[in-house]
Amino acid sequence: MRSAARNTPDHGTGAGSGDAVTEEPDIEEHPESPGEQTIAFRPIRDDEPAPELASSPSGSGGRLSAGSAADAIEDEASHEDVPEAADDPVRSAEPDGASHDAAAEKTEESESGPADDDGEQGAADAAYAAYTEDAQSLEDSADPEDDSKGAEDAEHTEHAEGTEDAADELDGDGVRSFPMPEPVSAALTEALNQLRTAVKGLHFGLDVPGSEEARKAQAAVLAQLDDYVIPRVHMSTAPALIAVAGSTGAGKSTIVNSLAGGKVSATGVRRPTTATPVIVCHPDDHEWYARGDLLGGVQRLEEPTRDAPPGSVVLTSSPSLPRGLALLDTPDIDSVVEEHHEIAHRMLDAADLWVFVTTASRYADAPSWSLLRRAKERGARLVIVLSRVPPRSREVVVKHFGRMLHEYGLGEVERFVIKETSVQDGRLPEIEIADLRMWLSALSVDDERRDAAVKATLNGVLNSFRTRLPALARHLETQVALRADLRSDVDAAYMGALARIDEATRDGSLLRGEVLARWQDFAGSGDLMRTLRLRRGVKGHQQGPERVRGLRAALRAGLEALVNSAVQQAAEEAVARWRQRAGAGDRLAATPGLGRPAEEIARRTTRTITAWQDHVTELIRTEGVTKRSVAKLISFDVESLSLIFMIGLLGYGATDAPAGAGAGALPQRLLRGLLGAESLRNISAKARSDLRARVGLLFDEETLRYVDALDSAGIPDEAAATRLYQATYNLEVAR
Amino acid sequence: MTAVSTAETQHGLGPRLAALAKIVELGQGRLDPALVTEAAQLLLRAGDRLKLSSDHTVVALAGGTGSGKSSLFNAVSGLELSPIGVRRPTTARTHACVWGIDGAGPLLDWLQIQWRHRFARASALDKGESQLHGLILLDLPDHDSIRALTDHEAHRLIQVADLIVWVLDPQKYADASVHRRYVTELTGHDAVTVFVLNQSDRLTPEEQAECVADLEDLLRREGVAHPRVVATSATTGRGVDSLKAVLAESVAARRAAYQRLEADLDRLVLRLVKDVPELLRVEPMLDGARRAGLVDALCDAIGVSALGEALENVYAVRSADWVGWPFARWAARLRPDPLKSLRLGAVKDDIRGLVASSVTAQPAEVDNAVQALADGLTAGMPEVWRDGVREAARSRVDELPEALSDELSEVAPPLDRVPVWWWLLKIWQYLLVVMFVASLAWAGAILAYGVFKAGRPPAEVLGDVAVLPWVGLMMISVLGLGLFSAMASRNFVVLAAGKERDRLEHDMRRRVGVLAQDMVVQPVERELTRYNEYFGAMAAARR
Repeated sequence: MRSAARNTPDHGTGAGSGDAVTEEPDIEEHPESPGEQTIAFRPIRDDEPAPELASSPSGSGGRLSAGSAADAIEDEASHEDVPEAADDPVRSAEPDGASHDAAAEKTEESESGPADDDGEQGAADAAYAAYTEDAQSLEDSADPEDDSKGAEDAEHTEHAEGTEDAADELDGDGVRSFPMPEPVSAALTEALNQLRTAVKGLHFGLDVPGSEEARKAQAAVLAQLDDYVIPRVHMSTAPALIAVAGSTGAGKSTIVNSLAGGKVSATGVRRPTTATPVIVCHPDDHEWYARGDLLGGVQRLEEPTRDAPPGSVVLTSSPSLPRGLALLDTPDIDSVVEEHHEIAHRMLDAADLWVFVTTASRYADAPSWSLLRRAKERGARLVIVLSRVPPRSREVVVKHFGRMLHEYGLGEVERFVIKETSVQDGRLPEIEIADLRMWLSALSVDDERRDAAVKATLNGVLNSFRTRLPALARHLETQVALRADLRSDVDAAYMGALARIDEATRDGSLLRGEVLARWQDFAGSGDLMRTLRLRRGVKGHQQGPERVRGLRAALRAGLEALVNSAVQQAAEEAVARWRQRAGAGDRLAATPGLGRPAEEIARRTTRTITAWQDHVTELIRTEGVTKRSVAKLISFDVESLSLIFMIGLLGYGATDAPAGAGAGALPQRLLRGLLGAESLRNISAKARSDLRARVGLLFDEETLRYVDALDSAGIPDEAAATRLYQATYNLEVAR
Repeated sequence: MTAVSTAETQHGLGPRLAALAKIVELGQGRLDPALVTEAAQLLLRAGDRLKLSSDHTVVALAGGTGSGKSSLFNAVSGLELSPIGVRRPTTARTHACVWGIDGAGPLLDWLQIQWRHRFARASALDKGESQLHGLILLDLPDHDSIRALTDHEAHRLIQVADLIVWVLDPQKYADASVHRRYVTELTGHDAVTVFVLNQSDRLTPEEQAECVADLEDLLRREGVAHPRVVATSATTGRGVDSLKAVLAESVAARRAAYQRLEADLDRLVLRLVKDVPELLRVEPMLDGARRAGLVDALCDAIGVSALGEALENVYAVRSADWVGWPFARWAARLRPDPLKSLRLGAVKDDIRGLVASSVTAQPAEVDNAVQALADGLTAGMPEVWRDGVREAARSRVDELPEALSDELSEVAPPLDRVPVWWWLLKIWQYLLVVMFVASLAWAGAILAYGVFKAGRPPAEVLGDVAVLPWVGLMMISVLGLGLFSAMASRNFVVLAAGKERDRLEHDMRRRVGVLAQDMVVQPVERELTRYNEYFGAMAAARR
């Protein structure tokens, strides 16, 4: 809303601001660019030459060029707290009486009674607040002024909410160029929010090569979105945040101090010197930075302390700095304290302009050039300061550095050279930084230039998303693919084991060792014959012959051995396959216990096999209906018969071997005679598939251990990559 | 004295390097390949360096670009040998200055210093420089400029120099490129590392003191226990003499090369043992219980005891056909046979055929037996070695089942074997039957001729009624004898089968034991011995 108020005078488009337009040309304080100049900036010009203003941070007196009318308004408004205070200065800044009327009206409307209360004391504050940015007003003023101001209100809400029509309105206003943001379309806001969600939702669980980088890149993108992109698209280009970055000992803090005209950041011979970033701004901008749209997640500190929490920044102000700009003194990018590098990079990602400081002895350092590359990648606007240049070698060094920059494709970048000189009180002699100060001042007053710079950086960042985000998505896809591969490795290993078991239960290899001996015992000792009894006369239920139990146990043991050996092999194979996968597979394979079957596997196998045997007995009991002709003559012991059946099924292989295929087919022949070929085939198929299912279940449990190990590393969301692509695309469209 | 201490160091270093060689040999495929490569390189480097001149000490001036290495190099050598400049990076090629050129040639060749960058100081002629005799001073290119990203000269020489002088300056002394990449990596190299804070003329004395204190602090935090920091200024010459003194001390001791190698070795060994928290020795020979366990498991895999039981049972049953009482057998035949009624008569032949087939070992059980042995042995061992032992145990597991089966077929009698005495007993039984039939006929004749007077008996005894009781008695006793001998011979069969079974089990155990020793135990023991050697070497490589 305030922004609206500010714009309207220049524009004449806003409701009820007609008077202001007529007044504007009269104002003498902004001679250079009357049309483009914003009210908020007029005073800067005014103040700049007047050093005494610097001493009074509130800058009340001189700045109030608008005169008495403004004063009056301020008086009314001054008692109110921040939001209102922010409101006032807009009016106060309005040049003259005519606007006064309008403004006064508004004030009365909006802040009926209490506005009159107190007089003078607030004037200074109000004036100071006048220069705080519209962005602030966006947020703060919403509540108190709701309904009272039609058009302005609409605009205001638009800022907060991003509604479309308000955006249009703003657009009309914003053409004028003031630090109004370009109208933010709902689509862009939406696209950015979507992007943020998409990036936040990424999860790189597997430690494949490059995942650490991907995680860092994700954090960087997220921080940049929060700290910079999202706030920045919603606000004007002023104030701009200028990050001073460079190697340790390059003199970043010294330059900041010199520009700020005071010791705002610690300097010294200890390396690294600066640990907590320092923001220095003009006192008028202090509140804006304190509120923090930019670097929203970063805690503000009044002054540097030893134990400053990692995510914090010192905020201080100095009147020596021009308005609309803030200097951000960052920690180094190359000292032993690695946390500094991260902080520095985060700060740089949130900055509108980068001032890269290097020295005559450092300009060839690799870290410096990687920072320059980063600036290039991000499309950030850059100026380079070559500091600590010994006067004698100035020519050579500057030329050489220039050539290197040129070769690197940075020949166009603006450069400043600072001589090696004695530093007094942490500051350089004024003469050394005159150029730099000029440049800053120009940036401060020349909206277009600043605008262009800020926009360029913002665009550069958005452009960099075109490559950074797909890179993230690609990495995620790699992870998803790798996970699928790892999963299929396990499956393949266990499928192989299952196939081996299948094979072994078909080709008769089970009928060896103890099983065969027991079977010979059972058959040879006549127990086999004894299981068949003639149905005659009295016939109680006969106990199975004694050797049945032995055979059954042997059969179970044989099957168990088969399964256990297969499981062991499968576990080894799964791990071996994982080992061959780079990075993540290797690490996961090292998970203790994966290389061998689970501890309780033996018990589980026993249970499985016993259950199967019981099941087969049950099958024989219920489905193995004896041929009627046989049943008349013979009864048989189910227990034994099921054993004979198992031997036939597992030991001799396929049940439908032709009759009389030799001595091997004894059980089949017997069973076919007893049960009939049809029935035998049915039962065989059922029993076989049941065994397969049971062993499959056992294997599934085993497989679960691998899946758990995989999952503990985090399950990448397969849709996340698509969402990210989509969000990136939407962002492009919205731009 | 110098010679003594040198010999001492060398004496300690040699066995340790030998141990490292052993580790490299045995660790192949078991250690991180990168680590093995590194160890092999260290061995190679140590071998080369120790062969080359021990009278010379290679001192490398290393540091970031612009810290004044070349200036310092010139200041120490007293000559303008290495070009200095303001452009960064300045030095691209390593320069060397040798005090006392004799014997230094091969060493410089090994260091790959180009001829045109070699300079010699005839130290004897220099006043006050004699204590530097034997010094080879290298001026390295920087390691942190963009050029160094593609040129690893500095990195290479930092790895091989005997003594490293880090040239730092007030601007860059805390750069990560020095500290993270080298200082932290070279902890434990205190004896062969010197830090120089160059360009001290840029600082006030107070600042310099603060700087030095801060640097020492930083170094201590990074694990340099006793940092040697010398503040110098190549331009004013301040501190250069102190540096020379430090160098002279090292050069005179002639130990830097050994110390450097020792420090490298220490570090490498530290990394080697990192994976293995404690060095545990295992018993290289398998104890009796484990062997017995393995043999038992293998015997089970081939079913020895089951076969023994089968032997007993089947013999007992089959003997009925041979040594049983024929009358009982005939009586049994009269009973209806269920199989016959099912027209399954051939089953009996099948059973006979089944019994005739020989038992072979179950491969899955053999597998598991071997696996269990390896698992039991290796509990607590590092994973790679567990795998190694397992592999060793399994090395011949594919042949094992067949070998076991062969042994068994040699030892085990076929279940359908018929011993000679069964035949004899069968003949005896039939003899008794014949006798019974004969006495029956006799009794019939007596009854016919003697009692019913059917005619004249052909012989006296056939008609003599008085003989009849004796004949009856004979019949009964023949039957009794048959029954008795059937029972007795059955017992004999069982007894013999029991004996057979004992013999079988005993023989098989012995044979399986031999097989297991050959095919499982020996490879395992070899592997265990290797394991012990490996850790012995590890212990020896440690100081």
